[in-house]
Amino acid sequence: MDVSSIVKEKVSEIKQEIGDGKAIIALSGGVDSTVSAILTRKAIGDRLLCIYVETGFMRKKDEEKVDKISRKFELKLKKIDAKDKFLREISGVRDPEEKRRRIGRLFIRIFEEVASEFGADYLVQGTIAPDVIESKGGIKTHHNVGGIGKPNLKIVEPLRDYYKDEVREIAKFLDVPSEVIEDMPFPGPGLAVRIMGDVTEEKLEITKKANEIVEEEVQKFGLKPWQAFAVLMEGRATGVKGDLRQYGRIVCIRLVDSIDAMTAGVYWPPREFLERVCSRITSEIPEITRVLFDVTPKPPATIEFE
Amino acid sequence: MLILVVDNRGQYTHRIYRTLRNLGVKVEIVPNTSPLREIKRADGIVLSGGAPRISSGDLGRSIEYVREFQGPILGICLGHQAIAIALGGKAGPAEKGEYGPVEIYIDKPEGILHGMGGRMTVWESHWDEVKEPPKGFEILAHSENCRIQAMGDMDRIYGVQFHPEVVHTPRGREIFDNFIKIVKGLI
Repeated sequence: MDVSSIVKEKVSEIKQEIGDGKAIIALSGGVDSTVSAILTRKAIGDRLLCIYVETGFMRKKDEEKVDKISRKFELKLKKIDAKDKFLREISGVRDPEEKRRRIGRLFIRIFEEVASEFGADYLVQGTIAPDVIESKGGIKTHHNVGGIGKPNLKIVEPLRDYYKDEVREIAKFLDVPSEVIEDMPFPGPGLAVRIMGDVTEEKLEITKKANEIVEEEVQKFGLKPWQAFAVLMEGRATGVKGDLRQYGRIVCIRLVDSIDAMTAGVYWPPREFLERVCSRITSEIPEITRVLFDVTPKPPATIEFE
Repeated sequence: MLILVVDNRGQYTHRIYRTLRNLGVKVEIVPNTSPLREIKRADGIVLSGGAPRISSGDLGRSIEYVREFQGPILGICLGHQAIAIALGGKAGPAEKGEYGPVEIYIDKPEGILHGMGGRMTVWESHWDEVKEPPKGFEILAHSENCRIQAMGDMDRIYGVQFHPEVVHTPRGREIFDNFIKIVKGLI
């Protein structure tokens, strides 16, 4: 892959597409939106406005990464706190596709508002090839792709023909910080799709903590999975903590191995890792009485649960 | 040399494109509804996988391409089943599906499996399978649950049930390498 000519080509394509118009892009802290923003910045300068939407489903480190990126690449950044809006929007929704759609629609409403304030006609997105393919195939609705209703904005997707490993190569060439390049993919709707069934504030807190524990231990053990995360299951299981019966919540740990997210195998961690994660989760999150480990490849499962 | 990937709306169509592109050949993805004359510009065609069941699978004009296209053809998953149906063989539901890693046994390391003897791990995602190959076809590989993992007329038409285009089939690239050699007349 000749990265430098891909960059040149993409920048000139974006220039041509947007002309003298203005554009916005939502940064998530992930490598796809970061690379798309940098390419667009090169093409149209400060006619690009970057936004960071705090949905309440993001992790602490996501915002930190966005801050770092915007400083390093001199991106104009606007932060939007929409925690309450998002939680209200999906309150009581149990169906995973409906959840994804509602989150997507709210994103679009926010994008449209910001764009009209800024006078932008274009929305740049970090869509990559598997997103397009999964949405087209009806497997999952990706928030990046128009599957969730069309915004009143023209969509620019500079990376739609590329896979994650290629995007990472482009990112390296552009000197994107390594923690952004090497970080595990994180779904657009965030932790909301790592909570089976309806999403509440209490469940969000539990899921956030469980995911932090998994990610910390993956680092400590020096594991290199494609993705590692925790999912809060529906239902409850009996436990006994300190001689007391507790009918508690269940989390499932998933570690997978992949190159392009199209297929994934189970990433088998050492037993000590699982023991450590289980012990930390059950002692640091009082609501949880049971920890499971998912052993299913993709196919037949998908990587995320919803 | 131009290879066309006929898109039966499988999830991995783009992966076929990408693998061939990385092997340095000119390649395009075309819908399975393209007119035959579009297809005839190619030196070889690959029929992608698609909808999970052959009965519901939208094969478009894939059957017509198998019958009318005169150059090398590689069918993958649904495309492999389409070859069977187009040329008088049979395809239908298997007793057991196969998903994820499966070990296959290579019975005949020739044609599309040239130089690939023994066993190998491949990535599968199917419920339907080829029940009976077309007349004159040979079975090249099998697995515990599926009798026909690969077949071919040993000249220019080959089918594989598994997915050589995904990264979880470690030796998948060699299969595309072989296909390119078949297109070039080297195998």
